Amino acid sequence: MEVCGVPPEQDKTKGFSINDNADLLAEILGRLDGRSLGVAACVCRLWSRVCRRDTVWEALCTRHVSGGAATARAVVAALGGYRRLYRVCMGPVLERLPPARRDEAGHVSLSLSLSLSLFSIDCYERLGGRQRSSLLFLRNTVDVS
Amino acid sequence: MGPYPCGSAAGGWEGVRSEAQCTAAPDIDGLLAGAGYRVRSSDLCQVAQRLERLESAMVYNSGGGHADYDHLASDAVHYNPSDLASWVDSMLSELTPADPGPVRHAPAPDGWVDQIYPQPQRAVAARMEEEEDSGIRLVHLLMSSAEAIQRGDAALSGSLIDEMRLLLTRVNTGFGIGKVAGYFVDALTRRLYSVSSPAASGSPAEYEILYHHFYEASPYLKFAHFTANQAILEAFDGHDRVHVIDFSLMHGLQWPALIQALALRPGGPPSLRLTGIGPPSPDGRDSLREIGVRLAELARSVRVQFAFRGVAANRLDDVRPWMLQVAPGEAVAVNSVMQLHRLLTDPDSPGPAPIDSVLSWIHGLRPKIVTVVEQEADHNKTGFLDRFTEALFYYSTMFDSLEAGRANGSAVQQQQATAVAEVYLQREIRDIVCCEGPDRAERHEPLVRWRARMGQAGFKPVHLGSNAFKQASMLLTLFSGEGYCVEEVDGCLTLGWHSRPLIAASAWRADDLEDNARPVPDNFIFSSISSTSNTNDSNNNNNNNNNIINGNGSMLRRNSNNNSRSSDSSSQQESIHGM
Repeated sequence: MEVCGVPPEQDKTKGFSINDNADLLAEILGRLDGRSLGVAACVCRLWSRVCRRDTVWEALCTRHVSGGAATARAVVAALGGYRRLYRVCMGPVLERLPPARRDEAGHVSLSLSLSLSLFSIDCYERLGGRQRSSLLFLRNTVDVS
Repeated sequence: MGPYPCGSAAGGWEGVRSEAQCTAAPDIDGLLAGAGYRVRSSDLCQVAQRLERLESAMVYNSGGGHADYDHLASDAVHYNPSDLASWVDSMLSELTPADPGPVRHAPAPDGWVDQIYPQPQRAVAARMEEEEDSGIRLVHLLMSSAEAIQRGDAALSGSLIDEMRLLLTRVNTGFGIGKVAGYFVDALTRRLYSVSSPAASGSPAEYEILYHHFYEASPYLKFAHFTANQAILEAFDGHDRVHVIDFSLMHGLQWPALIQALALRPGGPPSLRLTGIGPPSPDGRDSLREIGVRLAELARSVRVQFAFRGVAANRLDDVRPWMLQVAPGEAVAVNSVMQLHRLLTDPDSPGPAPIDSVLSWIHGLRPKIVTVVEQEADHNKTGFLDRFTEALFYYSTMFDSLEAGRANGSAVQQQQATAVAEVYLQREIRDIVCCEGPDRAERHEPLVRWRARMGQAGFKPVHLGSNAFKQASMLLTLFSGEGYCVEEVDGCLTLGWHSRPLIAASAWRADDLEDNARPVPDNFIFSSISSTSNTNDSNNNNNNNNNIINGNGSMLRRNSNNNSRSSDSSSQQESIHGM
């Protein structure tokens, strides 16, 4: 980003723009929370493309958890990818947690495994081509107070 | 909402009641007549309001101490206290002579209360009171009708049913007691008036649709599946050939989650066999096989070796162990979600029940885990009234929870799912109320009885563990309606609504291994950062299989201890042809 208020002759960062380096951008965006990531995807076409990368959403989903990343990646990809996982399952699940708990490691990893279970059911239903979805209940608003 | 006590008091009450009914006009409320007061049923609401007024006048308006209403006890002349309505009126007029005095036949309850209590909320409260009164009356009538049926008095129960139908037209049947009462009245009518066998008919395909909507609309079946899967996952730890036998496949919705969890388990997935039992499809389609194909596709996409076999049987006791083709050396899990209760018979009927033979061949399979999920209710009593009462409470609670889900659901599909889920429950209600003897399939028994039965059949209990509990609790947060509660009872989990358990999940084993304490494995592929080191150590110290993953993802396995059970094949009746 250009530094504001600095005359171009003194601007040491001139010549570098985050938009020049999509991988770096992805690395940064991977540290956002879900809602901010959604907002970031609306900034410009480049950002929207970067936000479609599954690695960004993988970083979001597997934050606070460790282990088995490589195997999990293959499985999640087969089921539909981390971005879809977050949109369909993990986002709603995390939203149901009280805000204080959303960063607690134990809760996040439990949310992830529960989301994966629900996600696999979603994938299975799509395989069958049926219209109804067993995950509709996730769209209901729930009072989290 | 509690019932009026039936039991020893009912005898005396019954006598008074029938006498009152003979001598009194038909619109006099029977209950109060039994207590000696004659009030018209239509006036019940107004009388209640006036009693309330009387109470507030006596308690709150006594500015000068006792003197204000002391005279009521000693000086007032009480004309005909059994005519409760006018007696209360006379008391009121004595107490508050400044009032214009309530008119005996008020034009409308709302107008009358507005005259005295100008706040508009009172009108609503009055309506709610009327609803409550009608609700209580409905319950009272349902009990009386059921008792009449138990005694064989068809005429009385018929007239009570007519009265209930009338009352139902005045009550809101969209929710609450009105709705449940509607279903029970319908069931009672069927029991009384249907000539043919009232067995719940309908094709298996219909039943599957109802089941699926019930799955969508409420958390009970999801809870059942996830809890059972967790137990199966833990039991399969360390085994690389596993076989799951599902007693009722339906759409196979339980298994994608297990396949995914097995795919992600540390050490890699085992090779999974699934045997699904279900009713034969009438139109020549092999619905079992279709489900199997879909599950196989899912398993293939996540690289889990998978084989499926369908066993078509109308009843579980038609199934024989040889049909399941259990191979020696594989870990067997038997999963029964609300199926075992269909094998029970009347408690006092002599001879062995089908449940005993089925439990014994399950035991013969030496399963590592048997997951049993059943309704937590006692609907297998011989006495009709007892059974009816239990069912009324159980299904009221169940409908309440569905209603809470519907109220918070926004999607139209969710509302539809709730409506169809109610039809699913209605089938159960009809079966419990209308069918007798071998026709009745819904013979729910509570967890304590299942525990005893499984213990007697030689199964050892397996505690469900905190992972299952946490998962169930988190699952519940996804469902609206803060009334759901998960409880752990002696290693079994129950899910209920407002502290009434409605469904109970338990796990058992019969594999005869020595009771070496297995450490409960961490089944999540992702463990929290803080506990990483612990779980890795426990996995490495596990003296079961060591798995080596080569380049293209398949597994090479070192020798495992699976062949220690090959001598135990005497209970199996067949030889295995490589599956």
